[in-house]
Amino acid sequence: MSKRTLLAAMFAAIGAFAATTAQAEFKPSGPIDFVVHGGPGSGNDVTARTLATIIEAEKLAPVRVQVVNKPGGGSTSAANYIYSKKGDNQVIGLYTNIWLTDPLVQEAATHRLVTDMTPIARLTMEPALIVVRADSPIKSMQDFIKMAKEKPGQMKESGGSITSRENVVRQIIQKATGAHWAFISFPSGGRRLAALLGGHVDMMILEPSEASEQVRGGKLRIIASVSEKRLPGFGDVPTLKDSGLPGDDVVQARGVVGTPGMSADAVAYYTDLLRRTTQTKEWKKYLDENSFGGDFLGPKETKEFLTTYEGKIRNTLKEAGLKVVR
Amino acid sequence: MDVLSGLAHGFSVALQLNNLGWCFLGCFLGTVVGILPGLGPAATIAMLIPLTLKMDPASGIIMLAGIYYGAKYGGSTTSILLNIPGESSSVATCIDGYQMARKGRAGAALGIAAIASFIAGTFGVVALSLMAPPVAAFALSFNSQEYFALMVLGLALVVLLSGESLLKGLLALLVGLWLASIGTDLFSAQARFIFGQSELLGGLDFTVVAIGVFAIAEVMASIEDGEESQILPVPKGILNLLPNWQELKACRFAFFNGSVVGFILGVLPGAGATIASFVSYGLEKAVSRHPEKFGTGVPEGVAAPEGANNADTGGALVPLLTLGIPNGASTAIMLSALVLWGVRPGPMMIQESPTVFWGLVASMYIGNAMLIILNLPLVPLFAQILRLPVHMLFPLIFGVSMVGVYAATGNVFNLGLLSLFGLLGFVMRKLKFPATPLLLGFVLGDSMEQALRQSLMMSQGDPLTFVERPMSAIMLALAVIILISPLLGRLNRARLRAITENG
Repeated sequence: MSKRTLLAAMFAAIGAFAATTAQAEFKPSGPIDFVVHGGPGSGNDVTARTLATIIEAEKLAPVRVQVVNKPGGGSTSAANYIYSKKGDNQVIGLYTNIWLTDPLVQEAATHRLVTDMTPIARLTMEPALIVVRADSPIKSMQDFIKMAKEKPGQMKESGGSITSRENVVRQIIQKATGAHWAFISFPSGGRRLAALLGGHVDMMILEPSEASEQVRGGKLRIIASVSEKRLPGFGDVPTLKDSGLPGDDVVQARGVVGTPGMSADAVAYYTDLLRRTTQTKEWKKYLDENSFGGDFLGPKETKEFLTTYEGKIRNTLKEAGLKVVR
Repeated sequence: MDVLSGLAHGFSVALQLNNLGWCFLGCFLGTVVGILPGLGPAATIAMLIPLTLKMDPASGIIMLAGIYYGAKYGGSTTSILLNIPGESSSVATCIDGYQMARKGRAGAALGIAAIASFIAGTFGVVALSLMAPPVAAFALSFNSQEYFALMVLGLALVVLLSGESLLKGLLALLVGLWLASIGTDLFSAQARFIFGQSELLGGLDFTVVAIGVFAIAEVMASIEDGEESQILPVPKGILNLLPNWQELKACRFAFFNGSVVGFILGVLPGAGATIASFVSYGLEKAVSRHPEKFGTGVPEGVAAPEGANNADTGGALVPLLTLGIPNGASTAIMLSALVLWGVRPGPMMIQESPTVFWGLVASMYIGNAMLIILNLPLVPLFAQILRLPVHMLFPLIFGVSMVGVYAATGNVFNLGLLSLFGLLGFVMRKLKFPATPLLLGFVLGDSMEQALRQSLMMSQGDPLTFVERPMSAIMLALAVIILISPLLGRLNRARLRAITENG
């Protein structure tokens, strides 16, 4: 060890000591690791990079926020990684619904968002649109349900894995109506959309921003929205409730979680950082463009929200006949 | 806007001095990233997005796309010189590329890779500019049945790649398919074959398996053979480090084959560069007058997959820009960059953002020219690496392999796996099992299983669905012909022998 590194190590040790004594003021000591469960370009990765970019551009944090991709097992690899960083104040993660769903159905996903990690904030509640091809005879959800009942198992929906929001919505509607249709899993959003555009499946659930582009291009038709209220910009699209169906409350929640045992002042620091980030013009623009809603929730409310939401998803999955392991 | 005026407009954008600069920067970064195994173009583009936020969208996408196709030029370097495939699309290049290097033709192989990349890359861009919308319709016509048939066809080519024993090739292929099934199943969200290791939930990383069974096994075998001082001969003189006329002539068809196969398979959202490189290699071998020489270092065995790998770029941009559908990590991250800049790729993009679309297309003509000018002078330079004595070269290969795996996965667990797969590759080599079918099974296994299960779910379990659709029926028939042709050949030889013996 050279003199310089020795000195640096000593200073680091002193710094660490000072940090533990002066608990009130947490300041990140280096780049913040922002863990996401998808690879570069996936939906979660894009949201994380948008947040990181705004923080960087508006100089909201003294350090860089770097996105760390931990794909694998849905959200499980990312959750395991965060769990393994117990007590680390420099690591946060971006969760979505599947962080709640995966531990419920995957034997191998042992770390639960609410009980095993430190919820920090809820950032968005993301609605979705149910779409069919523009030349499809299906004009409404009732049309779809009717056809699904006439030809049980022959209508097809493209989506992600069985733990995805699409499948939860499908299970709820199937149970309420007695209709049954096939759910075909594809590994990426692009493949799901390609299957619908090619006419290989009949229906899918799509993000509003993506759907509107395809509708403008005359390729898709929107038949319903998965949202509690009609969406701005999609005023003539009925919600599931308007269509006489349940499931409109299964929205995609997205927010930030900290490592288990993260110190209280670090949690306070991140809460403040994220609150300031969500108050910027850029973030508001991002929400508008994507038709995202949801009020910012702090640590306590986020934990309450996630606990309730987890219970609800568990019930839905159980009722749908899926094996719930936790 | 028709194609010509569109292109004219595009060149007026791409030839602006600042855009030429961004294009060069992208291509340069891409080449560097391509050469380094582990650090891929997707991760690089993702890291650079915050820096491009204030840029004009046309300039931004010109630079990011430069990284994307530039990386494909660089990808062949370690495959040829060190038998280290940095990405799944350069596995096929290793087969003959590394053998050429062993024969002292490393420079020639690198040169051919660069020239094939240029020709096919340019072909891909021409095809992109001329027929993007109709080709996009073709891409959508592929359903899971067709993808399954395509993967079967790709795997059938394993027979052509497997060398002496068909049985050993098939066995290696099965192990590869099994390796692909490790991890979390997409359909049921359940873990398979993870042996209690949570690191395996995401499946095995490509770099771990490929670098293990190729590079590490190669070095171990070389050490066992007791190779001294220098493993590979490197000829003196710059001219001898570049491909000669004969070698280029042998590649004529390969340039064409790689271009066409790469573009067509690149357009399909569920196919991509890896299957394109293998299909192109297999096709080249199938039509060759000397198929038995493949695998011993023939230049067309380098030109075909490298061409396909680069023509794929132009193809992949078709669904991205005309449908808003990315077919891989790099194009997905480019899509999100475009969205961040306020450009929405999709059915309306050509009409509504002609400056971005045509500016990007025109910049790719320029970028491909820049890349060949940038890469050819590097060839003699890189070929010098092989002059290193083994006591320096072997540690270098080990080092590059481990850094590559760690960079790609960020996980020490994978270094352990790397040595495991190195050992597997070494044992396979001792027992004369070919490694390429294993790797091919591994890289195609996932998509193939998904396509099979999707098809059967759509047909409610009816296997006839694969032969009822004409495209999939044709591809499956081709696969069957490929699989039984060696048997027929053997029967025929036996018949001829019987006739002559009796006569």
